[in-house]
Amino acid sequence: MAVEAVSTTLGSAPPPRRQRLLEDERWLAFALLVPTVVLLGMFIAYPFIRGIMLSVTNSRVGVEGEFVGLANYYKVWNDSIFRTAVYNTFFYTAVTSVFKLALGLWLAMLLNRNFRGKAFTRAFILLPFIIPTVLSTFAWKWMFDPTFSVINWTLYQLGAITGRINWLGDPDLAMASIIVVNIWRGVPFFAISLLAGLQTISPELNEAAAIDGAKPWHRFWYITWPLLLPVTMVVLLFSVIQTFADFQIVYVMTGGGPANATHLFATYAYQIGVGTGLLSEGAAISLAMFPILFLVVIVQLLYIRRVEVR
Amino acid sequence: MIEGAKWRTWVYFRIPLFLFLLFLLFPFYWMVITSFRPDGELYRPWNAMNYNPFFTLKPTLDHIRYLFEETLFATWLWNTMIIAAASTAISLFCGVLAGYALSRLNFPFAGSLGTGIFITYLVPQTLLFIPLAEIIRNYKLGDTPWSLILTYPTFLIPFCTWLMMGYFKAVPKELEECARIDGASRWQAMLYIIIPVAIPGILSAGIFAFTLSWNEFIYALVFLSSPEQKTVPVGVTSELIRGDVFFWGPLMAGALLGSIPVALVYSFFVEHYVSGLTGSVKG
Amino acid sequence: MARISRRKFMQVTGVSAAAATGGLAGILATGRAPAYAQATTVHWIRWNDFVPASDQLLRKELLPEAEKALGMKITFETVNGNDLQPRITSSIQSGAGPDLFMLFNNHPHLYKASAVDLSDVADAIGKAGGGYYPVSSGNCSADGKWISMPFCIVGAMNAYRKSWFAEAGFNAFPETWDQYREAGKKLKAKGRPLGQSLGHSFGDPPTFTYPLMWSYGASEVDKSGKDVVNSKEMIESVKFMTAFWKDAFDEGGLAWDDSNNNRAFLSGTVSSTLNGASIYIESLRKPDQYKTEKDTPLKDDIAHAPLPKGPVGQFGMHTFQSHLMPTYSKNQKAAKDFLKWLHTPANYDKWFASQKGFATGPTTDTEKNKVWDEDKIMEPYRVAGKLGQVPGYPAPTGPKAAEALSKYIITDIYAKAVQGTPAEDAVKWGEGELKKIYT
Repeated sequence: MAVEAVSTTLGSAPPPRRQRLLEDERWLAFALLVPTVVLLGMFIAYPFIRGIMLSVTNSRVGVEGEFVGLANYYKVWNDSIFRTAVYNTFFYTAVTSVFKLALGLWLAMLLNRNFRGKAFTRAFILLPFIIPTVLSTFAWKWMFDPTFSVINWTLYQLGAITGRINWLGDPDLAMASIIVVNIWRGVPFFAISLLAGLQTISPELNEAAAIDGAKPWHRFWYITWPLLLPVTMVVLLFSVIQTFADFQIVYVMTGGGPANATHLFATYAYQIGVGTGLLSEGAAISLAMFPILFLVVIVQLLYIRRVEVR
Repeated sequence: MIEGAKWRTWVYFRIPLFLFLLFLLFPFYWMVITSFRPDGELYRPWNAMNYNPFFTLKPTLDHIRYLFEETLFATWLWNTMIIAAASTAISLFCGVLAGYALSRLNFPFAGSLGTGIFITYLVPQTLLFIPLAEIIRNYKLGDTPWSLILTYPTFLIPFCTWLMMGYFKAVPKELEECARIDGASRWQAMLYIIIPVAIPGILSAGIFAFTLSWNEFIYALVFLSSPEQKTVPVGVTSELIRGDVFFWGPLMAGALLGSIPVALVYSFFVEHYVSGLTGSVKG
Repeated sequence: MARISRRKFMQVTGVSAAAATGGLAGILATGRAPAYAQATTVHWIRWNDFVPASDQLLRKELLPEAEKALGMKITFETVNGNDLQPRITSSIQSGAGPDLFMLFNNHPHLYKASAVDLSDVADAIGKAGGGYYPVSSGNCSADGKWISMPFCIVGAMNAYRKSWFAEAGFNAFPETWDQYREAGKKLKAKGRPLGQSLGHSFGDPPTFTYPLMWSYGASEVDKSGKDVVNSKEMIESVKFMTAFWKDAFDEGGLAWDDSNNNRAFLSGTVSSTLNGASIYIESLRKPDQYKTEKDTPLKDDIAHAPLPKGPVGQFGMHTFQSHLMPTYSKNQKAAKDFLKWLHTPANYDKWFASQKGFATGPTTDTEKNKVWDEDKIMEPYRVAGKLGQVPGYPAPTGPKAAEALSKYIITDIYAKAVQGTPAEDAVKWGEGELKKIYT
C-alpha cells in the first residue's frame, strides 16, 4: 500500500498543485520516506517493543510469564557464559573489522588497475560473498575437521607440522578459525564497495599529482584516502554491525563450543531463547547487546559526520 | 600505472593479487573437487597414505544427480531467487527514495529520522525472531514466500538507505542546480540527473541486499516449513546433513550450484557499474 | 522523449505495485482455498534419520499407505536433529507449524504447557506392546498424563574394533572405567585413540557424560530434587575424565558433533566410540567401501559393548525419541489417528526392521522382535530400553532437568575440565549454572 501511495502522488499527468507540492522539499521528502517508514514500523518497531516487554517477564515457551522487573538482566549479568560471549563478540568484531578493512582496501586498489582478465577477476573474487554462508561455512568446517582437515594435510606435506592442529577443538584456535572464515567472507564486500568508491575519484587528480612529483604513498594518503573516507566509513559501520550480530558462522562451525568458549551474543541468545525455550532470558541477552552496539555505532556516526564536515 | 622496473609489478601487484585469489578461491575449489569426488575418497583421514586431496582420478556426477533426483533442489533454487529478487527490489525502491530525501533535501527532523532508520538496523535479529513469528501468524503468511519477502527488507532497507545517502552526497550539488536552472523540476532532477549518476551505488547496494537475502538462514529456517517452500541454505542443510552418510558431496554440489547462476549475474553487473561510473560523473 | 520514458516508468511502477498487492492477496486467497478443499493434512516433522533407509521407507512406502488407509494427506519433513528445538519453540510461539513434533530425550517436559494430552493413544499402544519401559514413561509423561507419544529408543553402546583391542591385550571389552582407560592408553600410543564428542550436540555427548557421572555416585540432583552436583564424587569423576581424555582420546572430540565419531570410526582413526548402531549399520550397507587396514571388511571387526562400570555401578543413557502434538494443531484427531496407525504392529514393525536395531521400541515386547535374532553383533542393543536412566536421575525428570540437558551443563563441566580448568572449578561453575535452574 506504501508503494501505491507514492505512485498515485506522482500520477502520470500530475496536476499543477501536486507538482507544486513536490517542488516543496518537505512534501517531496515526506512522499519519498513513506514506504520505508511504514515497512520498518510494521516489522521492526512493533516486534522490538514486544521484545522489550518479553525481557521483563519470566515467560518461557508456551507459558505467558509474569512481570519480574529486571530479574533476567540481573541473572544474565552474573552469567559467566554471557561474559565470555561479550568478550568474544568484541574481540571477534574488532579483529575481523581491522583485517577486512585493510585487506579489502588493498584488494580494491589492486583491482582498480587495468590488467588482462580484470572483469573475470572482479567477478570471481565475489564468490565467497555469494555462496550461501551456511553452506560455505560447512566447507570450511570440513577443511578444519579434526579427522579430515585438508589444511593439516597441506601443512604436514610441507613439513610445517608433525602432529595435527586441533583447529576447532582448542578454544583459541576455534576462535581464530571463525575469524578467518569471517574475514574470508567479508573481504570481497569491502573490496567491491571500495572499488566502486575508487572509481568515483577522477584519475586526473592522481595524474596531476604524479606530474607534480608526489610519491605513490603520498598520493594515496593525501588524495585517494580522504575522498574515499565517507564510503569507507559507511561500509565499515555496516560491517561492524553485521559482525557484532553474526550468527551463522559460529552456529555451524562450533555451536558455541568447545564448552561455550566461542559463543557470541547472537548464538548464546539463540541457544537460551530458542533452543532451550527460555524466551525472556533470551530476549534479555539480545537486548543487552543493543546499548553496547548503540554506543559503538554512535561513536562511528560522530566520526563520519566530522569527516563529512571536513 | 606502475612506473619503473619489472620486479615492482611483481612485488606490488601480481604476487599480492595471486595470494588474494588463492585465499578467496581455495574453499571454492575445494567445493568443486568435493562435488565430483566419489564417496570412497571422501573419508580418508588427513594423514592417510596416498591421500591426494587436490584432485580425483575418478570424477563422478552422483552427487549432483542425487541433488536433483532425491531432493527438491531445483525448487529451492527457484524459491531463493524469487524471494531474494523481490525483497531486494522492495528494499532498493525504499532505500533509494529515502536515501535521496535524507541526503539532499532540507526538511525538519531529517537528521533524527535518518538516525531512526539507522537504529532499526541495530535491533538484533535474535530478539525480533519470536515477536515476528507472531506477526507472521497474524497476517497468515506462515510457510509462504511472503513471510520472507516482507521481513528481509527490515535489515536491507537501513543498509540501502545509508549506502545511497553516501553515494548521493558524493554527487556535486552543481549538477542538480544546473538541471534546475534548465527548467527541470525537483522530481525530474532527481530521476534524470542524480539517480543515473548514482547507478553504481544502486547496483552495489542491490548486490549487497541480494546477497544478504540469498544467505539468510534463521528466518527462513523458522518461517518456512514445507519442504517445497524452503530456500537453498535451509533446504540443503536440513536434507543433506545426516549422521553416517558422507553428505559432503551433495552438500558442496548444492553450495556450488546455488551460487553459479548468481555469480554469472554478478559478473555482468560488476563490469557494468565499474565501467559506467567515471563516464557519467564526467558527462 | 524524457516525458514519455518517465510516463513509462510510472506505468511500470504502478503495475508492479499492483502486481505486488494482487500477488499478496492472491497468495492469501490460495493459501486458504486448498486447505478447505482438500482432505485434512497432517504435518509431521522428524530429524534426518541416521539410518537413511528408514526415511526412504517412510517417504516411498509407509506414508503413501497411511494416506490411503486414513484418507488424509501427510506432509513429512526432516530436519537436522539439532534444529528441532528451535523449530518447536518458534512454532509454539507463532501458533502454527507441524502437527507432530519428534523430540529427543526429556525435551517434551520443556513444552508440556503446549502439549496435547495423548494418554488415550499412549495407554492403548503401551498395553498392546506389553507395557512401557520406565524410560518411556519418564521422558514422556508428566502430571499423570502422556505429554508425548514414545516412539523409540536409540541405544548408545560402544562400537569397538575387536582386533585392535585384542592386540592391546583385551579379548573382551573392558569391564571398568580404569581398565578402559588402560586399554585406551595402549591404543592411543599406537595411533588408535578412543573417540568421543564433548561438544554441543543432542546425542553422543550427554549419553556419555551422564552415565559417567552416575557411575561415580554423583548426580545433578538428589532424590528430592535438590541440586548436589558439587560433590566429592563428581570432582573425582571429572578428574578421572581429564586424565582419561589425555591418555586415551582423540583430542578432536571437543569439536565433534554427533556424526564426527561415525566418520572417524569408519575411516579407521578411532578404535572405539560410544554411538548408536549406525556405524555398524553403515558398514554393513557398504562392505566394499569400509575396509580395515588388512583389507578385510570393517563390519567383521566391529563389536558392541555397554559403557564400563564405575565405583558405584554400571549406568547408561539412551537417546529417546517421542512425538509431541502441540495444542495449536488444528488436526488433532487426524494426527492421533495417524499415530495409532503408525504404532499398529504391522506398520511399526516395517519401520523397526528398516532401523536394523539402531532403534528399539518403547515397549517391552520389542525385545522379542525377530530383528534381534538376525545379527548377534546387535545383541547388546536389544536390552537398551531396560538399562538406561533418564537425565535428572535419581529424581524424576521434569522441565528443569530438560533445561539442564538443553544447556549442556553436565557435558560442559567435563569439557571445561578436559581443556584445563581445574576439576573443582569446573564443577563449581556447573553448580552455579544448575542453581539458576533449580531454585
